[in-house]
Amino acid sequence: MALTTAEQPSVRASRAPGIPAKRRGSRRGRRSEAAAGYVFLSPWLLGLMAVTAVPMLLSLYISFTNYDILSPLSEVEWVGFDNYKRMFTNDPSYWRSVTVTVSFALIAVPLKLAVALGVALLLNRAWRGVGLFRGLFYLPSLIGGSVALAIVWVNMFNREGAFNGFLGLFGIDGKPWVNDPSWALETLMVLAIWQFGAPMVIFLAGLKQVPTELYEAASVDGAGRFRQFRSVTLPMLSPVIFFNLVLETINGFQGFTAAFVLSNGTGGPVDSTLMYTLNLYIKGFTDYEMGYASAMAWVFLLAIGIITAVFFTTGRFWVHYSDGDDR
Amino acid sequence: MHPPLRTHRRRLLRGLVAAAIAVPLVLGAAACGDDEGGGSSADPNAPVRLSVFYWGSEARAKLTEEALNAYKAKHSNVEFEVTWQANQGYADKLATLAAGGDVPDLFALDDNMLSDFATRNVTADLTEYKGNKIDVSKFPPSLVEYGTVDGKLVGISAGENTQGLVYNKTLLTKNGLPEPTTGQTWEQHIDWAAQVAAKTKVPGTQDPSADYKAFWVWIRQQGKDLYSGKQLGFTADDLAKWFTLWKGARDKKATPTPDVIHEGNVTDISKQLVVTGKAATSWVWANQMPELKKNTKDELGVVAYPGDPSGQWARSSMYWSVARSSDKKDTAIDVINFLVNDQAAVNILGTDRGLPSNMDLRTAFASTVSDANMKLSIQVENDLAPKFGKAPQVPPKGHSTFRSELVKAAENVQFGKATPEKAAADLIAVVQPKLG
Repeated sequence: MALTTAEQPSVRASRAPGIPAKRRGSRRGRRSEAAAGYVFLSPWLLGLMAVTAVPMLLSLYISFTNYDILSPLSEVEWVGFDNYKRMFTNDPSYWRSVTVTVSFALIAVPLKLAVALGVALLLNRAWRGVGLFRGLFYLPSLIGGSVALAIVWVNMFNREGAFNGFLGLFGIDGKPWVNDPSWALETLMVLAIWQFGAPMVIFLAGLKQVPTELYEAASVDGAGRFRQFRSVTLPMLSPVIFFNLVLETINGFQGFTAAFVLSNGTGGPVDSTLMYTLNLYIKGFTDYEMGYASAMAWVFLLAIGIITAVFFTTGRFWVHYSDGDDR
Repeated sequence: MHPPLRTHRRRLLRGLVAAAIAVPLVLGAAACGDDEGGGSSADPNAPVRLSVFYWGSEARAKLTEEALNAYKAKHSNVEFEVTWQANQGYADKLATLAAGGDVPDLFALDDNMLSDFATRNVTADLTEYKGNKIDVSKFPPSLVEYGTVDGKLVGISAGENTQGLVYNKTLLTKNGLPEPTTGQTWEQHIDWAAQVAAKTKVPGTQDPSADYKAFWVWIRQQGKDLYSGKQLGFTADDLAKWFTLWKGARDKKATPTPDVIHEGNVTDISKQLVVTGKAATSWVWANQMPELKKNTKDELGVVAYPGDPSGQWARSSMYWSVARSSDKKDTAIDVINFLVNDQAAVNILGTDRGLPSNMDLRTAFASTVSDANMKLSIQVENDLAPKFGKAPQVPPKGHSTFRSELVKAAENVQFGKATPEKAAADLIAVVQPKLG
């Protein structure tokens, strides 16, 4: 995830000039150009169909059935909107997982971005060894979604874990963080925030783009450090903040691995880490209710779509693009 | 628009739609193809590649590989394609394979999955092979019944075991404490555990209120059962009483704190509390003794669960099943028959999947055992066998939901998030509709 995040802007940027402003050449030339285009596209297109489009359509169909994954597809029964109805009216665990996921995203995402921006500001200076620190801070993101990291986390935050040992140095009696329902989700949030490397790198890149003349001009006008940050850095950085916010929110909602590992795939203790995607997984593969799980997935897709749309709509009011002529 | 481009696009769209329709059809067809028999007319010496899938520890994988090699030594035409993995995720993987129409020819199941897979026809009906290709005549009758779902023989018991209360003998001896005994009452057990906790600072017993097998024994001792047909065999009151029993035990400090209990609930056998030193007793299966012993230097002992031992029964620990879609059923059945009815194979496999199902071979095997813990497992099973009650029915579809909901309900009570009555009522409301 971290890597694709970092790559996306550059891909977009390089693709844009590839589209010619005006088509040139003869009709035949254009035709063969189009054919060649499709030929070059075909591996991607086939991939898209085989591993994305067809399964997605299939899952949409399944979401209206009682498909249980073990029976052949030919035996499924069409149940209409029953799965969707059950989700909203007759499944406490569904609402439990919605609550868990929303509170996770609401708390972990802003904190993660704040930490990422703060560290990026620190690392944006030219001091000795800064490259090493950039690398070190980015490291947790590289191994970000991995199971190994979640296992390390569980062991660190056990009752006998390193974290409580550290607290013990100050005479503080620790808690069974991961095994206590009032703390398990918070522990997951800390893990998510700790993996701030990917947005940090993007922030760093954004900070490098801010023209130094602006700071010079601002300081000539008598702006202090904080005023410079508020009036120059933040507005100039707003497209990057926006980009990070959208991606990290989507990431936050999709949090699965850590919750799965921490709770041994149950969402426990007492449903405290029952993230939406984990609940979906349990419904599909443990309870053999793939139809219901598919319906959950589609509602999830829709919800994330709406949230992203809201970001894009409201973004108009606070995201400033420096190359103003284009707008 | 340019006509060629448009036709291209139209063709492309048509292709997309066709693919969207065709793929499910193909999947469906593949999944329901090859209903019966298959392979019976083939030459018995023709080369066969048999896929085998099971869960377990590395030790089990080694033993199983050895046993399969012994089969191969006699049948050089058979090649095995073995995959195995930890218990965690096994059922998911198997379900996914089933969804893709790619079930392994031979695979392991347990009570959690047997009914789910059998009622959905993933498993082949082996009834017609009984007596000729697969011999179950030397099995205790309950073990044969155990593989039967809706009148079809769908699983062959890979071994027999029973519930076992494993305790840390070294700890007790060192502190001059008595060992638990078979036949003690539940109250006696809890008092004993409180006494252990007071003297040793190690909680005497793991609170098993989230443990379905402990509840199962207890509810049978109350004259009921976990299931009655496709219904739960007990009421919310019964379950609330069970939760209250253990609430009392926690109040007496006979058990660890809820977070440690939770740790014991979700962990695998190698980190059970009796092994990690967080409790003096763990509620396990008697055949897990050798596996437990590998993880501690202390000496372990094992007795029956508290209460009347007739609440316990000789249970099939797990099953070997054949895929209905397999075209190598004959070979698969022959391999199962070898694993359960050949003395060499039985001696190799030992008590890893429970005691050998075949009684004659079990006796012969027991006389050769040297491993002290394996010996103890066998002894407990043999001591209890005359006191065992009638085996309950095979759990219906939805058993795995009951198990996970029991953990949730019990932990809700332990962490003080619900009263025993509320947690019990919630569980019944969620689980009952899932059974069937």
